[in-house]
Amino acid sequence: MAEVRKIATSKVAGTWAWFFQRLSAVLLIVLLGVHIYVDHFWHVGEELTVSNINERLKEALYIAIDYSLLGVVLFHGLNGARTILFDFDMFARRQRMVDWALWILGIATLIWGIVILWPFIKG
Amino acid sequence: MKVSSFKWLFGRNSEFWPTNMRTGMWAWVGHRLTGILLVVYVFLHLSFLTQASLSHEEFDSLMEVMAQPQFVFLDFLLVCAVIYHGMNGLRVVLFDLGIGIRKQKLVFWVMMVIAAVLVVVGFWALLEIIFPGSG
Repeated sequence: MAEVRKIATSKVAGTWAWFFQRLSAVLLIVLLGVHIYVDHFWHVGEELTVSNINERLKEALYIAIDYSLLGVVLFHGLNGARTILFDFDMFARRQRMVDWALWILGIATLIWGIVILWPFIKG
Repeated sequence: MKVSSFKWLFGRNSEFWPTNMRTGMWAWVGHRLTGILLVVYVFLHLSFLTQASLSHEEFDSLMEVMAQPQFVFLDFLLVCAVIYHGMNGLRVVLFDLGIGIRKQKLVFWVMMVIAAVLVVVGFWALLEIIFPGSG
């Protein structure tokens, strides 16, 4: 087991980053599965218009799924980008700066995403 | 061109012959490439949705353009990238839990078979839109 852990964890990226990447990965498979099923199998062939999407987003559950999907996706994506950066030894000595920059980018994008779904929810 | 011309690439002694292939290395390369692609897509997705808060009419006509076969084909490529990234990611999670490492090549191919099935399901769902009149 010890050997496995050594391979799996980059020293620079950190154990928590590794752990939450796996946790968010499993969450994403579930959330993305629901998202794809609802948007592309239930409503297949339906025209995408503001009013149609507004109709779907009347369900609080859809909104909850879409917003949590966005949050988890952003964490997983940006944390993945961070791992790639450090693996290629880019900014590895500026780890704290990279962490701050990515958290700010992630939270700003999350707010952006919450705001842009608003017109669909309000109609 | 004869098939044997591609022996160096796909033959018994080549990298891509299943038993020779360094599956873990290629899986890792693919995982990173699709990963970067998918992060770019999330931002693209959000910027398209932003159009809806600017103008309802323009959003509706933008979505009409995106419903054309060539753009739905791009959606299909997105489906492929997501499924590969997801199934390979599941393989990584399994290995991190200590499951299947001793059979790592087999696990890779099993995951790729499941991925292929899911890609076919995705293609079937989009078939009518990509090739109108085929369903």
